Amino acid sequence: MSSLAVTASRPPFISLSLDNWRFALVAGIIALIVSVTLFPADVSFWIVGVFAVLLAMSSVINAYRRQYYGGLLVAPAIAVLFVMNIFPLLWSLGLSFFAYQSSQQTIRFVGLANYIKVLTNDLAATANWNALINTAMFVVLTVAAQMIIGFLLAMIFAKQFPLRRYLLILVLTPMMLSVVASGVFFTYYFDPTFGILSYVIGNITGEQFILMDNKAGAVAGIVFADAWMWSPFVMLLVLAGLVSVPKYLYEAAAIDRVSAWRRFWTITFPYIRGLLMLALLFRTIEAFKLADMVILLTKGGNDTMTISYHLIRIANEQNKTSEGAAISYLMLFMVIVLTNLYLYLANRRQQGA
Amino acid sequence: MKTMKGFAKAASLAAVLMVGGGTYAFAKEVVLTMAVPDWPPTRIMKKFFDEQYKAKTGNTVKLVVDFIPWPDFYTRVNASLTSGEKKYNFIVSDSQWIGAFVEGGYYRKINDLLDADPEFKKTFDQIHPSFLDAYATYPYKSKNYYGFPQFPDVLVTYGRKDVLCDAGEQAAFQAKFNEKLPCTGEEMDNIDWKTFEKVGQFFQRKKGEKLAGKVLEDDFYGIAYQAGKGYDFSSMQINGFIWQAGGDIWDETKVPDGKAQGVVNSPVAVKALDQYLSLIKYMPPVAKTGTMDIFKTDELFREGKVAMNVDWIGLGEASLDPTSSKVADKLVFGMAPGTRSADGKMVRWNNLGGQPFVLTTWTTEEQTREAVDFVKWWLSAPIQHQFAAGGGQSAIKSVYEDPKYVGYRPWNRAWATQLDWQKDVWHVAPFFDLLTQQQDQFDLAITGKQDAKTTLDNVAKYQENLLIEAGLIK
Repeated sequence: MSSLAVTASRPPFISLSLDNWRFALVAGIIALIVSVTLFPADVSFWIVGVFAVLLAMSSVINAYRRQYYGGLLVAPAIAVLFVMNIFPLLWSLGLSFFAYQSSQQTIRFVGLANYIKVLTNDLAATANWNALINTAMFVVLTVAAQMIIGFLLAMIFAKQFPLRRYLLILVLTPMMLSVVASGVFFTYYFDPTFGILSYVIGNITGEQFILMDNKAGAVAGIVFADAWMWSPFVMLLVLAGLVSVPKYLYEAAAIDRVSAWRRFWTITFPYIRGLLMLALLFRTIEAFKLADMVILLTKGGNDTMTISYHLIRIANEQNKTSEGAAISYLMLFMVIVLTNLYLYLANRRQQGA
Repeated sequence: MKTMKGFAKAASLAAVLMVGGGTYAFAKEVVLTMAVPDWPPTRIMKKFFDEQYKAKTGNTVKLVVDFIPWPDFYTRVNASLTSGEKKYNFIVSDSQWIGAFVEGGYYRKINDLLDADPEFKKTFDQIHPSFLDAYATYPYKSKNYYGFPQFPDVLVTYGRKDVLCDAGEQAAFQAKFNEKLPCTGEEMDNIDWKTFEKVGQFFQRKKGEKLAGKVLEDDFYGIAYQAGKGYDFSSMQINGFIWQAGGDIWDETKVPDGKAQGVVNSPVAVKALDQYLSLIKYMPPVAKTGTMDIFKTDELFREGKVAMNVDWIGLGEASLDPTSSKVADKLVFGMAPGTRSADGKMVRWNNLGGQPFVLTTWTTEEQTREAVDFVKWWLSAPIQHQFAAGGGQSAIKSVYEDPKYVGYRPWNRAWATQLDWQKDVWHVAPFFDLLTQQQDQFDLAITGKQDAKTTLDNVAKYQENLLIEAGLIK
């Protein structure tokens, strides 16, 4: 209780004390309004900046004097989070209600017009929906491929066999490569003139084989490349679960002559379920953002445009900033809903088990 | 803060007085920062600058060059400009970008610089009008000037002598089409798209068949040109087909009365696109995947998989180099194919390529002075000759008309004669929007998902819509 005794009392609102953060906040807001209305942007930016620093300083001193050490310790993290994450998020949310293009100097409030356009306009909305459907398809296919391959790889590497360590490093390599490097590698792999795939299949069937000239082939190519890169990640997680299963459970099961299937289902699976769920969550979120492989392999041709790539084109290439912001907010909304649904289901399962 | 600043000022003033003594102005260091694509024409410029450039003002001028890979180039420059980082004084800019970045307030108008410096103006007037219009003006073909040629470029036909001039192939081609198979540069100049198609049909060979007397270890193809979905890697060829047939793309010089509907998808344009599409079947199979861009056709040609390729001169150096080209000693070059009109004359309209470089609006007066001197130096005849001799091209009349010019590189014989036939694609602010939609649609046609008419109808509808919204069509 001694700490309470030395805690300084709160300064009155109008005092010019260094820890009077309330006053600094109000003064900052007034300065913000005044400087934004009176001065050009590059001047008001610095004025507001100075007041932001003052507010931060007074809050820190206030916390120190009142001994809010917990708050003080997380403050740097929160400050970084605010500057790098929350502020840009709010800023782009604001932009999505304006007609704004980053390559032009004008800005105009349009309310929900951007959202209405990306959802209903007969040209823009069809492209968006189409890209969204493709994205859903890629999420299902790539995540399924990665989970199955990664899981099977983990089952193999959970056993001891000669050269296991070296093979493990080899299998993990794709995950460490840059996406661009593996993308370029796969363009040559799939290339009908220079590629080995067309060469081998062409030699077997006698017909010319072109993988990427139709949607099914192009999707297969992208899914294959993506699975090649990211299955090792799933494998790594599952492997961690597999080695954590206590040996004595298997020994007991062996004594009871439990079938292999049952052994897996009742001993192995409960240990790796959490990690599988984690891998599923990570890979689903990543797959939802799939753009790099598509850009490298098809440029969105053969109807493989994903919503992320579509967004890059709209926001970064065509400079339709606010339209891009509206699409990304709709995407964010979808990801949040899906993630929460997933977490809800995962939790319910856990409680049920 | 104020006192600190005052102190710093006083101190620096004292330092200047002590060192300079106020008796002479000593040389300053001026840094010009430049964003350029990473390829030989810009590498050569940097090399020449470092080796030869001396500023007339006596200042030490440094050229800091950011070499950016081609596939990232637009995105990087666009991000730098729109984010407001104000990093670059010079930007090598594709000609199509000018409108967007002038409207954005990034590119500096240079009329005042030209008016103030008659010598500069004289050099500037030496630029071939096709390139002057495409590289410098916004609105297109107006008198507002913005850029200077860095590397001007046109499409040419790359050919393989060993295949085209082989006696057996010559006789077989003659027998099949009753026409001589083009073999020399002059004969290649005379190729129209019909002959080009015949070359494609004639040289399509399977593995195991014979080519010029030798058994092929791999499939071989007659022809290639750009047909890729990325950036502008089909529009640049299709525009030529449409113009040569007498059609047109949306014409920005007719704002605000020029329409997209009915022009872009006119029957003539549809026929021209059909002709472009009909040749794809004679090309390497990668064309069917929509990824046969200018780099791919170049690679296929260098690897000896095609007999003829229509591509930019800018990619040519690699084909001359035996370390990167299997056909380095077998090259022949001619003008890009044209279309023969009813009276037998060759129509050669094509989209020009290459890039101007521009000044940015935040470049200080001192930097601008040095920049103008640099540009004058760059466009001066001796440097342009050196540039051309080192693998570049020149749009300066006195340079490319010099008899020496043709000898610099084998494709230079197809340079000056094509310049009058060059036009450019739109320079308006929403060009990237127009371009991506069009490229997407062309890709659908190239990969056989829809016919030429539907394609151009979709393009016209989209353009009409967008341009009305942008206020460019009434």
